[in-house]
Amino acid sequence: MSTERIERELAILRIGSQVAQLVSADGRQVVLYRAVPTAGAALGLPETTDVIVPVPPGYPASLIDLAGLPVGSPFLARVKGGQNNQGVLHIDGRPWQLASYHPHNGGGGPPWDQNRHGFHTYLDHLIAWLDKLT
Amino acid sequence: MARQTHIVPKTNVPVIVRMAAPEFERLRALVFRRYPDFEWASFARFGWRDTPEGLVLTLAALDEPGVGDLDEDVGHVAIQEPYTLRIALASETHPLAVAVIHSHPQGCRPRPSTIDDDMDSYYGRYFHDFAPDRPYISLIFSEIDGEFVVSGRVLWRGEWLHVVRFSIERTPTEAWVGGDRPQRNDLDLPRERTARLNAAFGEEAAARLRRSTVAVIGAGGTGSAAIEVLVRAGVGRIVIVDPDHVDESNLERIHGSRPEDAKKKIAKALLAREHALSIDPNCKVVACLGSLPQKEVVDAVVGCDMALGCTDQQHSRVALSDLATRYLVPSLDCGVLLEGRDGKITAQVLQIIRFLAADPCALCRGLVTPQRLAQELMSPEERDARRAAAKCASEQDANAYWRDMPQLNTVGYLTTTAGALSAGYAIGWLSGRFDPPFGRLQLNLTGTLLDVTDSEELPRPDCSCRRVRGWSDQAAADALITAPGHWSAAKILT
Repeated sequence: MSTERIERELAILRIGSQVAQLVSADGRQVVLYRAVPTAGAALGLPETTDVIVPVPPGYPASLIDLAGLPVGSPFLARVKGGQNNQGVLHIDGRPWQLASYHPHNGGGGPPWDQNRHGFHTYLDHLIAWLDKLT
Repeated sequence: MARQTHIVPKTNVPVIVRMAAPEFERLRALVFRRYPDFEWASFARFGWRDTPEGLVLTLAALDEPGVGDLDEDVGHVAIQEPYTLRIALASETHPLAVAVIHSHPQGCRPRPSTIDDDMDSYYGRYFHDFAPDRPYISLIFSEIDGEFVVSGRVLWRGEWLHVVRFSIERTPTEAWVGGDRPQRNDLDLPRERTARLNAAFGEEAAARLRRSTVAVIGAGGTGSAAIEVLVRAGVGRIVIVDPDHVDESNLERIHGSRPEDAKKKIAKALLAREHALSIDPNCKVVACLGSLPQKEVVDAVVGCDMALGCTDQQHSRVALSDLATRYLVPSLDCGVLLEGRDGKITAQVLQIIRFLAADPCALCRGLVTPQRLAQELMSPEERDARRAAAKCASEQDANAYWRDMPQLNTVGYLTTTAGALSAGYAIGWLSGRFDPPFGRLQLNLTGTLLDVTDSEELPRPDCSCRRVRGWSDQAAADALITAPGHWSAAKILT
């Protein structure tokens, strides 16, 4: 895993006031994004939520995909791919369910390009994901 | 009177200096600017990697002198203080090591003089104050009897070390350790064995091959053929990298394999080592059970004169490309493809891709399919879990995101041809007798006149490979690929 690269990307997020950190648990590394904005207010749901995204093996050669929400999150039933459980991870003292979200792999975003994309640009996809609630 | 310091470098930590052709040619032209009678110099920046086998330094950039930076009125090198200060201040803004490279007049050995000792003692301390914990490098270029000669020493962790080897792209070069002419030992190989090759390429080429180290990544059908050709040609040291073990289906392709090897599930790297030593017991063969870019494997490969990629896998191709760009290890990657339809073989394609430091990387050349690469790098468990989840999802969503990547078909005569051809280009490269005359060669054995094509792709201006040439470990954040955590730990068997 390229810790140096991920730390560089997280530093870019910090410049934009987005808090995100690299954490490990269950033998995996994930990026934990804090308080990502949602469109939940109109539905009586929280306006923000924490989200985890696994660091793919071989990163940055492998594309980033998936997104995880705390087990029991009301957003899981409303986000794209939320019903398609891709596994549960224990991170930050709680269980998280990974949703089937693949923006760089036919899921609406541009094809993966490691020269342009990273955990700093993935935030945009997470915001879009949490904005289109059903 | 100025204090005189006599530097006595050691060889307990071998130091290897690597240079790519464009930077080397520019540097040579620069420091030989006042040839044949007078000296000249330049500062430069080097990346480095500290390995268990020694320190590997890679030329990343030149900090050329401007007007007035060196005294034109004296024959020897006299660097003016503003130039030195400019380089020192710049070193606080980048992570690379500082080097000074100067020439000795034509015909003079590259042996450091007492003035050179004074300069290096001073600079070693001076630059350490601005950029601590980095090597300080001092090289001397010269030309004797029309031959380029070079020596070097490095201050690293408080010790002066000799440069024992130079690996300069397209310029076979021997280190003049301490400024002394290299000892020419008799070849430890019966002359008759390589008599035909020597007759064609010359005795000097045979000696160069014997001094060379080649990394072969992948010891399957293609790699085992390449290894056999290289060992028979007299290459002195081979580093073989492969994480897998022989099974029945490999016997049709792997040179030297026997049914009992498949029964015993012997490691491919060990089998290749055994086979190489049976051909030439004096060849030094290192077997690595692992894959690029695992740390231990990179450590073993980064000092090699060149690498051959024989895995036909995208992650290996990307790692080789990274090795060429950041660590200046010239590489050739080869692969094969077999296609058929209606009971006929329709295509038998061989591909050899050249990765020199200045070549476009694997990403620039569009050699990567993100989905295939991601699947190669997943653990088998993750692959199974994703396949199952995708199957479940596809019942609700026709926009399936998972597609199993087909296994590429291949046969022994194709892998042997690809491996032997690549080894041939490696021999040409190492001996200095010929270069691969292509960027990416493809030929189709089933095509009319073999359908030979060459592609000289252009680099993408925004690609990281344009920024980090020779930056070595100092551009770790720009690595194109990292080793997945689920891979078994690499083992080096010497």
